[in-house]
Amino acid sequence: MIDLQNISKVYGSDVHGLRDINLTIDPGEFVCIVGTSGAGKTTLAKLLIAEERPTRGKIKIGGWDITKIKRRDIPYLRRQIGVVFQDFKLLKKKTVWENVSFALEVSGETNKRIREIVPHVLKVVGLDQKAHRFPHQLSGGEQQRVVIARALVHRPKILLADEPTGNLDTINTADVIEVLKKINDFGSTVVLVTHNREVVNSLKGRVITLADGRVISDKKHGKYILQS
Amino acid sequence: MLFFTSVGRIISFAWKNIIRNAWIGLATVLVLVLALLSVNVLIGVNALASSAIAILEQKIDVSVYFVPETPDAILDQARSYMASLPQTNRVTLFTAEQALEAFKERHANDPSILDALEELDENPLGATMIIKAAKTTDYPFLMEALNNPQFSFAVESKTYEDHTVAIGQVQQIAATIRYFGLILTIIFTIFGALIVYNAIRVAIYTQREEIGIMRLVGASNAFVRLPLIIDAIFFALFALLISMGLIAVIISVGEPYLLSFYDGSDPGLKTYFTNNFLELALIQGAIISFVVAMASWAAVGRYLKK
Repeated sequence: MIDLQNISKVYGSDVHGLRDINLTIDPGEFVCIVGTSGAGKTTLAKLLIAEERPTRGKIKIGGWDITKIKRRDIPYLRRQIGVVFQDFKLLKKKTVWENVSFALEVSGETNKRIREIVPHVLKVVGLDQKAHRFPHQLSGGEQQRVVIARALVHRPKILLADEPTGNLDTINTADVIEVLKKINDFGSTVVLVTHNREVVNSLKGRVITLADGRVISDKKHGKYILQS
Repeated sequence: MLFFTSVGRIISFAWKNIIRNAWIGLATVLVLVLALLSVNVLIGVNALASSAIAILEQKIDVSVYFVPETPDAILDQARSYMASLPQTNRVTLFTAEQALEAFKERHANDPSILDALEELDENPLGATMIIKAAKTTDYPFLMEALNNPQFSFAVESKTYEDHTVAIGQVQQIAATIRYFGLILTIIFTIFGALIVYNAIRVAIYTQREEIGIMRLVGASNAFVRLPLIIDAIFFALFALLISMGLIAVIISVGEPYLLSFYDGSDPGLKTYFTNNFLELALIQGAIISFVVAMASWAAVGRYLKK
């Protein structure tokens, strides 16, 4: 599903974001990528959605080599990878429904399909009763669930969540992780980039630990091993 | 169906952009209006110059005065010969009596001349022949042709109402105005394109969040780009509409003041713009839309490459 071969990313002439990363993530996996600030977690996430290109190495997503992906093909990649960020990235003047349907509108989906898909994904994240609220009328956890709903509208095979609980309290964090687990149960691969020790340890899944741009640990049932 | 849905959404996004950045849009439209007005001033100057030249050309002719009592046969021969030349457009022959009547009419307000005529027993005037050339450049040839020995002996005098100097001056003034007008048009067009470029960059800045999300959730580059290009085309069309309205008002109000310069004749400005309105609007609309669309394309392209 996700295959990284000898990936390195160098900024400028000598700032190493990632160094010789080799990783394979299978379909349906729930993988936590952990590490301290500057370890290379976000760089890795950006490479996966083609926001940045690797300096060396090869990246394949579902057999598709995206290492030198053409600019015009990036939208198609992003429809296959749902993305969730720490800072939500919701449009404040749009309701929950409008924020979610926006992703479909700009992808050229029909109104009929939008009316079918939006209620479905809102139900998956448990926000079907709050479809007409605006982001400021929701808690942080609910806002993040809207973002997850938006990421799900294209039925992505991969959901990439970069610090999705970074701005949330414990209860909202638990809600968001529950939703991610549910999505993983439906068969999507979930890649969770985080430095939240409790979340990682509670999941009891595969944990890839980065430090200084390198993979220093990759355990099938790992724990958060770094000092916060 | 899906195509129309997408087009509808793109236009809707474009319209929202305009509303959100109304002041920048207004400034952009204003500069585009100036560019279009300068183009139309050029066109107007051309139309005015053409009609001035046509009026002046109408006034050029050669008047041939025959000695009194020239036989009709000679007069007919002169007329036939001159009319047969391809350089001649029209020949009008006035008999001595008609020439006298015309002379009296022309000097109806000058009693001393009329009294002097009364003193004479006979008609002092001979027949007069007025010749109009096909082209203004043909007059020297026609003047030469009047030296034909078959009738030249009967010619008392000939006058050539030469307006070529005036025509040359009109042409020169028009060319100068066209030259500076063209420079002005180019400057305004470049300003317009630059302002559109910046307006679109400001629009991108104010909507960076929305555009960022569009790209994140898989909107195609075309979907990001097209609303901003349509914005620019909206600006161009607004500017076209306003400039056409202004031109209509300016011509309606201004043309009567031009009548005195045209000796009471129609300056032809309103007629020209009325007859060519659709063509002018289409050509200007197409060119200005193309220029601003390219400026917008470049502005969004720069953003999309980031």
